[in-house]
Amino acid sequence: MHRFRSLWVLGMFVILAAVSQAPSGMLFAMDSSSIQYEVLSPWGEADPKPLKGISPRLGDLSGKKIGLFANYKRAALPIAISLQKQLRSMYPDSQVSIYHSDQWNVTEIETENREIFKKWAEGNDAVILLVGD
Amino acid sequence: MSIEELGTPVVLLANSGFVRDAQSAASNKGMPVIRILPLNVACESTVPEDIEAGTAEAMPDIIEALTRPLTDHEKSPKWSTEESPRIAFKGNYEEINRFFYKSGWTDGLPIVPPTEEAVTEMMTGTDLPADHVVAKVIPRQGKATIEKIAVNAVMAGALPTHMPVLIAAVEALADQRTRFDTFEVSTGSWAPFFGVNGPIRDQIHINYSSGALSPGDMANAAIGRAVGLIVENIGGARKGIEDMGVIGNPAKYTLVIGENEEDSPWEPLHVERGFRKEENTLTVFFPNTYIQAVPQGTDAEGIAKAMLAMNPWGMSCFIVIPSHAKILADAGWTRKELKEFLMKRSESPMDSFWESSQPRAEFDPDSLLIVVAGGPGAWTGLLRSVGGIKNDFVTKKIRLPRNWDELVEKYKDVVPTYARY
Repeated sequence: MHRFRSLWVLGMFVILAAVSQAPSGMLFAMDSSSIQYEVLSPWGEADPKPLKGISPRLGDLSGKKIGLFANYKRAALPIAISLQKQLRSMYPDSQVSIYHSDQWNVTEIETENREIFKKWAEGNDAVILLVGD
Repeated sequence: MSIEELGTPVVLLANSGFVRDAQSAASNKGMPVIRILPLNVACESTVPEDIEAGTAEAMPDIIEALTRPLTDHEKSPKWSTEESPRIAFKGNYEEINRFFYKSGWTDGLPIVPPTEEAVTEMMTGTDLPADHVVAKVIPRQGKATIEKIAVNAVMAGALPTHMPVLIAAVEALADQRTRFDTFEVSTGSWAPFFGVNGPIRDQIHINYSSGALSPGDMANAAIGRAVGLIVENIGGARKGIEDMGVIGNPAKYTLVIGENEEDSPWEPLHVERGFRKEENTLTVFFPNTYIQAVPQGTDAEGIAKAMLAMNPWGMSCFIVIPSHAKILADAGWTRKELKEFLMKRSESPMDSFWESSQPRAEFDPDSLLIVVAGGPGAWTGLLRSVGGIKNDFVTKKIRLPRNWDELVEKYKDVVPTYARY
């Protein structure tokens, strides 16, 4: 019986010694930090998109047709009007038109106005897009 | 982009805080080099002087953007998108969490490591193969395969029994009627609401009673969290880049509730929406506001008046507690009549009340949901969204795998047991 008690005391001493060597609060973390996981990526694959370049720029805006596209957000149209005024002042021989979309969160070319929009866009030499924020 | 495709040079002006969003949108449409200029005008400004000053300041850059010759990269862009190998990382719990957080793959909370074993177990929640694409999730058009949904579900702490709901959720988000494309990335910080009906509610322990919208229930918490991670990691809607929610919304962590069909005096929501009672469904829309109120009186008139005073409008959803629903039903109100009363005053069975109230706009009664849920008490909840962008509530059937009964049995005891004190 005494022999078992001695073993029990010895066992407790070993455990206490191990605890005293562990950094504060790390007794349980020590075990988990040694477990290695191999984990899968959550990032979804997407099909590669064919990339498109942008259209050649103009040599000068003078004498050109410049379009201002204002979307449905409330600041877009006042910004377009402000730019129209300035552009007309800077380039009196240019034509500056505004296309105002009232379609919420829909690309204009996907609306019933697509033909009118397309004709307007194609009729300009350059377009400034305004989104209101 | 469509104007550039017509051959007309374009420059886009965006508030400086939205330039990265615009660049990401352009990249997603295959035109990563579109010229975008920051505009120093407050978002949605109504101040003419500020607009004049901002446009004058931007004018030299606008002219330059429309006249500066293209670089070779702009003529023929070569863009490397960020792809990720299937095995993302190897490390211990803390290292994995740091890696995922720093990769922008979490919601800020620690994640459960999505090991091969855990993901395989998660996929026992469906009969669909790992490479089956449920939908392509916008804005990135990332492929929501069963495996990717399962990876994000493991990260969120979900159970395999939650997989059927998650698959239905992805199907719902891909349904154009939700207008997920707009709501998920909108400045209005709209959050997806998921209302669950059918026997699955009890099988996977979805809370529809006390505190159903509060933390503490694994299904309510993990399903919504998993959807958030799916949107972020598969759809690529990252906060402040593509998701431009101005203030944000805590409901983006989770907004999942069941309907208390058993204590409701009315037919269940999914039956009202054309499904059979024994079917399992998920109903989705995008509110950004949640308010709660106690009625002035606890009779039917008091409850109905309180609901009206909460000012529901198109695309709203009331959470009515079972005791209130019973009072209303006992007074003769069907769910349809209540919706008509709340949305169309002219058809109200409470005309005497209307004579003393302020005029209000009429809305289509079908643009209102009423869900019976919540615990004992006297509060009513209202989730408000907005209509008018060809959006609608969407209800999807939840499809169960062949091994469903075994799965439910396996996880049936995963419920909290609270100690008394």
